[in-house]
Amino acid sequence: MNIELNRDYDFIDQLETKLDHDGPFSTWDIFKMSYQSSLATVTKDFKGLTAPKRLPQMNFLNHQLECAQQVVEEMNGRGILADEVGLGKTIEAGLILKEYMIRGLVKKALILVPASLVNQWANELSQKFYIPAISQRKRPVWDQNNIVITSIDTAKRQPHRDIILEQEYDFVLIDEAHKLKNHKTKNYEFVRKLKKKYCLLLTATPVQNKLSDIFNLVSILKPGYLGNYEEFTKQFGRDRKNLFNDAHLKQLIQKVMVRNRREDTGIDWTKRKVETIYIDFSEKEQEAYNELKRITSEAANFSSITYTRELCSSREACYLSLKKMLNQDKGIANRTDFENFLNLIEEMPHHAKAEKVIELIEDTDEKFIIFTEYRATQFYLQLYLQQHGISSVPFRGGFKRGKKDWMRQLFQNKAQVLIATEAGGEGINLQFCNNMINYDLPWNPMRLEQRIGRIHRFGQEHDVNIYNFAIKNTMEEHVLKLLYEKIQLFERVVGNLDAILAELEIGDVEEEIQSIFQESATEGEAKIKLENLSSVISYAQNNYSEEDFNDTRESS
Amino acid sequence: MTLANLHDFLTDYFTANECEVIENHNGKLQIQLNDTMDELLMNRPFYWQYVKKLGYPGEPMKMSLITNPDRREEEGEWIHFGSPRLHQIFYTLTTQGKFARLFEQIETGQRTALVPWLIINMEISYTGKHKKDEIISMGLQLINGAMKIDMMNHLEQVRLQSSIADFSYTMTPMIRLKSGYQRIINYFEDYLQHKDHSWAEESWNHLQEEKKLLEHFYHNTTDDEAYENRFEQEVKDIESLFKPTIHLSVINGGLFYLSQVTSNRIMLSPSSDNQKSSRIH
Repeated sequence: MNIELNRDYDFIDQLETKLDHDGPFSTWDIFKMSYQSSLATVTKDFKGLTAPKRLPQMNFLNHQLECAQQVVEEMNGRGILADEVGLGKTIEAGLILKEYMIRGLVKKALILVPASLVNQWANELSQKFYIPAISQRKRPVWDQNNIVITSIDTAKRQPHRDIILEQEYDFVLIDEAHKLKNHKTKNYEFVRKLKKKYCLLLTATPVQNKLSDIFNLVSILKPGYLGNYEEFTKQFGRDRKNLFNDAHLKQLIQKVMVRNRREDTGIDWTKRKVETIYIDFSEKEQEAYNELKRITSEAANFSSITYTRELCSSREACYLSLKKMLNQDKGIANRTDFENFLNLIEEMPHHAKAEKVIELIEDTDEKFIIFTEYRATQFYLQLYLQQHGISSVPFRGGFKRGKKDWMRQLFQNKAQVLIATEAGGEGINLQFCNNMINYDLPWNPMRLEQRIGRIHRFGQEHDVNIYNFAIKNTMEEHVLKLLYEKIQLFERVVGNLDAILAELEIGDVEEEIQSIFQESATEGEAKIKLENLSSVISYAQNNYSEEDFNDTRESS
Repeated sequence: MTLANLHDFLTDYFTANECEVIENHNGKLQIQLNDTMDELLMNRPFYWQYVKKLGYPGEPMKMSLITNPDRREEEGEWIHFGSPRLHQIFYTLTTQGKFARLFEQIETGQRTALVPWLIINMEISYTGKHKKDEIISMGLQLINGAMKIDMMNHLEQVRLQSSIADFSYTMTPMIRLKSGYQRIINYFEDYLQHKDHSWAEESWNHLQEEKKLLEHFYHNTTDDEAYENRFEQEVKDIESLFKPTIHLSVINGGLFYLSQVTSNRIMLSPSSDNQKSSRIH
């Protein structure tokens, strides 16, 4: 054995120079404090986590602390974090990174996450962990000692690619690592080439369809650990279920992967009560809706579907966009129809949904969050609630941090209702509220999951009530009935929906639904297509067979 | 010599850096920064560049620090052992407080000789599969070569100042600074020789195992040169990860002139903990 010993000779040279030049020197007070601060930051033990002590504002959950400790102490900083969605993989990863930074083992890190999550990661690391991470957008600085967050698509593109591959990273993290399951892809190749010490792969679905997925992931961390590819398939086959059935493989994998499942965490999850409320348009509103459908289908404008959607939300939302369209687009065939329709809107009574909101909230003191897709609806609701003596505050993703916090505080201490247009990944914690109204539904189920996640999360002490509004005989009813309820979107406490959609290569559900309505000649056709979409998704869901990675079921 | 009270530490820090303490009550500290400290802590280089260019007097900011966790919702920065502000302050100290030349304060009308000491506060980092650090404060008397461990604690009793007192004079070292430093390094090498290094052995063995796995993984691949390069890179990666290394780095240090009486008292006083004093001639 051979221990390398590095000695510091710079110090004495510098001291000598200072003495020759008669200073400048530190005072005794400052000298003492410098020594004290070193004593205060020193890590005296090989084992254990020091990071939690430095983050007193955070309440880490047991499984998160255990995970971080296991990765640091037993996996030597190379591991797969494969907790189920919602158990805090980001927190675990942040904790591990922080630990290494405190111990002076990581100075230069590369964090590869989906482009849409770059900012969220940067915020979480800085707010929760005081890790000053740089989100890399336009002017990349790769060659310095820092913590950089970027997307794999940016990183693998030239000219970045070559520079990044030259860097020696202390720490590399890859979020949504299941996208690397195929070793023949460019992404996989790129990641394998990174020079790295510590490495974390984050995924909720370590094996998506083939057992070789896990082989490829492990080969990023520890090439050879599972033998080479031929040996691996010979010994363990190809069936993904073997990951959980083959005792030997399971044992091997447990040394490089941490997987917590919701029921393993020992946390008492409160219930989620979902109620769909179907609302009838008033006669006048229904007439307007039918009329709008007629004139928009004649116009065959690409965004025509938007207007009918907006009408289901509020007169204001629809009015504003129509007006805008009429002002911008001069060549509309049935312009007079639209103009007449605008007059019709002006005469319309209060929206049926808004009245329903009042009905729900009026007689209770409980707090409610109302989510809507449209700013105009948000304004309208605020006004309408005010007229009924109900206090509310607005919330938008675009608010600055300070304003967000302020609104949250107002909501917590003063107002009964928070009206939000965007769930926003940037975590504001609203778990002091346990009622949510989905005033109109996003056509992207992931966003719905995010909305609910604002209140149904750690720290929620009550059962959560979710009210979904949908207006009968409109597209809202179809989407809710034929899609969301079919795929049991609301019942599943947490979903691997993102992974399923990725596997089905449905990139954007919203677009999918939009084109269904757009391209269908009749309502019946649209319904059938929606039904098809939901059966494809639920089929994939069923294929996601139950797993039992940690042996919890046998032992309990 | 440990940092027991964060609030007092911060008060001392700003006082030592000649900033006015405006408020100091129940775990809240308000400081009027001076130009130097504003530049050092407030991270606004453009402002200072601009002010200096135009020759205007700068307007340094005030800083409110809260050390009482019960008041952390109040206006100001909550300071605790992980807060970025505290670590920024610690960081400024690593350069501000690195080099010293200090003299014992003597209040007597008689001519007093001061004995030169080289003080080195050393951090020893042990890095393998895991990492830990150890801090040892060491003093070397530069006339007779006597060494004393735990030096910072002994110096706590001594009144030290930046300039030499009237009637005091310094003795010329018999041991040159650099050879003195080498003696200290030798001491640490000897200290390390006699330590248990099972941690290193464990890391070393682990490294060999990981290397074997890698070799096996790449063994049968008929692939080309690119594969070969990757193999070498990955060997390098795991070496940097597991190779046992010890790092000696100086936290701070300097030349201290102490009276004969103080020097003798320090030499004779027992050292705390299990750290033993030793003599090297």
